[in-house]
Amino acid sequence: MSEQNNDPFETRSRALFQDSVDALDMRIRSRLTQARSLALEAAQRNRRSWLFGWKMWAPAAGVTAAAILGVGLMIGSPIGHHAASLANVQANLEDLDLVASTDEGSADAMEMLQDDIEFYDFADKAANSGPAA
Amino acid sequence: MARFDTLNTAWMVWDNPAPAPEGAVLEYTRELEKFLAEIERRAFRMAQVALRDPDDALDVVQDAMLKLTRSYASRPSAEWRPLFYRILENGIRDLQRRRTVRKRVMTWLPGPKEDPENEAQDPLENVADSAPTIPERLMQAQAMQQLEESLRALPARQREAFMLRNFEGMDVAETASAMACSEGSVKTHYSRAVHALREQLGEVW
Repeated sequence: MSEQNNDPFETRSRALFQDSVDALDMRIRSRLTQARSLALEAAQRNRRSWLFGWKMWAPAAGVTAAAILGVGLMIGSPIGHHAASLANVQANLEDLDLVASTDEGSADAMEMLQDDIEFYDFADKAANSGPAA
Repeated sequence: MARFDTLNTAWMVWDNPAPAPEGAVLEYTRELEKFLAEIERRAFRMAQVALRDPDDALDVVQDAMLKLTRSYASRPSAEWRPLFYRILENGIRDLQRRRTVRKRVMTWLPGPKEDPENEAQDPLENVADSAPTIPERLMQAQAMQQLEESLRALPARQREAFMLRNFEGMDVAETASAMACSEGSVKTHYSRAVHALREQLGEVW
């Protein structure tokens, strides 16, 4: 991993540095141990929260995936075709809306229907009575 | 038969599943602790060489440890060392910059009145006496002191390259990763550092 040089100057400076590391007093060593413990506590908290987060979000992700799959299956199934017929019903409702709407200058269609309600009632009964009448 | 073998292998995997999350956390923490314990004293001495003050050096090392564990510990352990030293060097540079700014501000502010009694005191009297019993040890300490002074006189990048390569024993690629520069730059910085140090220390060493 490391490419140590054998040059006397570099060897000597490395040895001196290592001696100074070995000669560190107890106060410094103790402070470094405390710093390490703090860092490790933080690391454990991070790791646990990550795992907890993963556990917490996994069911939600599952439900979302199931919902997406469900929609996909519905579109490709007879239910999907039924959905298409629902679209036709919506078109008919739009027609009804046109009949019911009041355009400027034109007679109100719904009012007209109410005025002639007796005539339509008669016509309905006549149609039901059939050719025997 | 082949299918049976596969099934057996599958059962072996099932019988010895991957460690539970809690076990994985413990294993990961142990690995991280081993890494930090191995590196912390050398890192402290390097920071002390750059900053001189031991308390500042401790603060910088502690910050580097926290930053590594908070932000980069999920990286592969092989990357920890260069990452740690990059964070450490950034911390050292930030502290040096803050010191420079503080010095500039302090020169504009009126300083405290000098006490003639304190003036008379020899500052070396307050320094703890390490009392080395072996002369050779004392000479080594002096030699290290001179090396530290010479390292502080170097440009920051040369000092970084020298300490990472020589003190920490990193190879060129790792040093380049820690210093966020090319391998060629590392070689240049290191070679210039060695040349400058030899010139300064040649007679004394």
